Amino acid sequence: MKPMQAVLTVFRKEISDALRDRRTLLTVLVSSVLLGPLVLVAISALVASLEARAEARQVVVAGIEHAPSLKNWFERQTYTVKAAPADYEKRLRNAQLTDPVVVVPADFEAALQRGESPTVELVSDSANQRSQAGAGPIARLLGGFSRERATLNLALRGISLELLEPMQVEDRDLASTQTRATQITGMLPYFVMMAVLYGALNAALDTTAGERERGSLEPLLMNPSERWVLVVGKWGAVASVGMLIAVLSCLSFLPGQWVLRSDTLAAMFQYGPREAALFLVVLLPFAAAVSALLMAVAIRCKSFKEAQASSTVVMLAASLLPLINVFSLGGDSPWHLWVPALAQNVLMTRVLKGESFDAAQVLVPLGVCVVLASVCVWFVARTLRSAAVR
Amino acid sequence: MISIQHLAKQFAAPAAKTRGLAGVSLKRRTPARFVQAVKDVSFDAPDGHITGLLGPNGAGKTTTLRMLAGLITPDAGRMAVDGIDVASRPREALARMGVLSDARGLYPRLTARENIVYFGRLQGMNADAANARAQSLAHMLEMTALLDRRTEGFSQGERMKTALARALVHDPANIILDEPTNGLDVLATRALRESLRWLRTPAGGSKCIVFSTHIMQEVERLCDSVVVVSHGRTVATGTVPSLLAQTGERDFEEAFVKLAFAEEIQAHDATPELMR
Repeated sequence: MKPMQAVLTVFRKEISDALRDRRTLLTVLVSSVLLGPLVLVAISALVASLEARAEARQVVVAGIEHAPSLKNWFERQTYTVKAAPADYEKRLRNAQLTDPVVVVPADFEAALQRGESPTVELVSDSANQRSQAGAGPIARLLGGFSRERATLNLALRGISLELLEPMQVEDRDLASTQTRATQITGMLPYFVMMAVLYGALNAALDTTAGERERGSLEPLLMNPSERWVLVVGKWGAVASVGMLIAVLSCLSFLPGQWVLRSDTLAAMFQYGPREAALFLVVLLPFAAAVSALLMAVAIRCKSFKEAQASSTVVMLAASLLPLINVFSLGGDSPWHLWVPALAQNVLMTRVLKGESFDAAQVLVPLGVCVVLASVCVWFVARTLRSAAVR
Repeated sequence: MISIQHLAKQFAAPAAKTRGLAGVSLKRRTPARFVQAVKDVSFDAPDGHITGLLGPNGAGKTTTLRMLAGLITPDAGRMAVDGIDVASRPREALARMGVLSDARGLYPRLTARENIVYFGRLQGMNADAANARAQSLAHMLEMTALLDRRTEGFSQGERMKTALARALVHDPANIILDEPTNGLDVLATRALRESLRWLRTPAGGSKCIVFSTHIMQEVERLCDSVVVVSHGRTVATGTVPSLLAQTGERDFEEAFVKLAFAEEIQAHDATPELMR
């Protein structure tokens, strides 16, 4: 029989075998493929609620009746003043209240008139993240009131306003909208890669260690097919399953975009068919290489369970390496592109940032994947016979 | 026709680890020991003939058959299948053999038919031929009802039948079975015996059947000739009556013990009464 025909026979058998493992496939689909979009939706809900609060322009004050001038300032800044509930401390602690509370002392107005600079408390709970996030704008709002009072007092005494502000600070943000979005969506490439890994894992283990455990490897080798033919067929099937998961998870973010609840996030998160295609260019060779690597690790193991333990090392490495990029340890370095898993993360992050990359930057990780896959396939073919009888 | 001459194989046994505290070796590492699994096994198995490979556990039967199937490279000796040298042309030899090995795992998510056809395809058959062959083997092995069921949950006997059909799918001239009746009940064993007898006849294809076992009754009931293997050596060859005559016994079990454990019996007899 021609080798290609035998490869195809093995490939077809392993694919249908893997696709019949419904329960595992379903688990992978639910846990890996759906997880990314779900996280995206959760983030968007959070951003939307932050935006809603910014738009609400509301300040919660305890004792506003003691400070008519402050109330006047809030209202001139188009903020609505809301009276704080009596048990605001408790509510802040158990996160029922999501706005920080301004506490005004009883003698505020009189002390202000006398120039005694009364103390206003801004109460939030750092464990209550949303009240903490709201504290910044309110602090700036209160600062504005102080500045206005000071300016008026000095202006009355004939001091020029320029003297009060010898230096002006102006923000200039270099990040494009997309770059800013990656702060939020930076985990997305990570989710996609995990999906690919977990997608390939089961098939890789089943075709190697699983085959040994069942005792079907020995009969398989008693067929007059070359060993590399068997291994290439198996590898093709495992890689196809990994690639299928890659395609599904890349596509899963397309509808994810429609359900984004925040308009700003939807505008920032540029993920269309072009981005999905670029993701796949990066991911497909990775899926093929990691499948071969998992098979090479698993062929040395006598049972599925043992192989699961051994493959943890691969899974751990593949999940930790991208973190170098996620947390931008040491910025972008050229060597990042030579490390599998890390290189894919770097490239996918660039796609999300809307940055372009040239062919060389794609070819380096591709080359690494080709070498890794070939070495692993060769190793499995070499080990197959001794694995069958032991 | 299978011919095996002076086959030998030794394995490196894993050295016993003598570890001290914190993994520091206290003694010097013991050199790897070797286990001589097969020392000198020779036999000829002609066509249209059932040859039994009889020996106690650990005699080297499975290792011999694995070498014949090309899974292990022998240290010494020659093996030929229909005149094809196994060492130099393993794939051609494998194409002429159907091997039911000690490990007979099936793919649980495939049906019995898919299991059989898969191996047929790997043997170079086209899909239709493999399918037709699966059907006729199922008829012969009385497993037609099982054919389109997934093999998950098959009983021992059902598994054995499927594995046997898988090994025979390419209609090989030489059939090698390693302890095929292990774990089978009386009816399944009888059915297997019937199948093997039929395969030996000209109508069944005059197959050359080699079959290893440690069960005397199997040999007595089925085999045309017996090769007794013990401690990695062929210690006797012949038909059941000729082996009985050779040992002067009337019971085949007694004859087998005499042939296979000659050394132990001599050692036992030589030991003075007091030392026993």
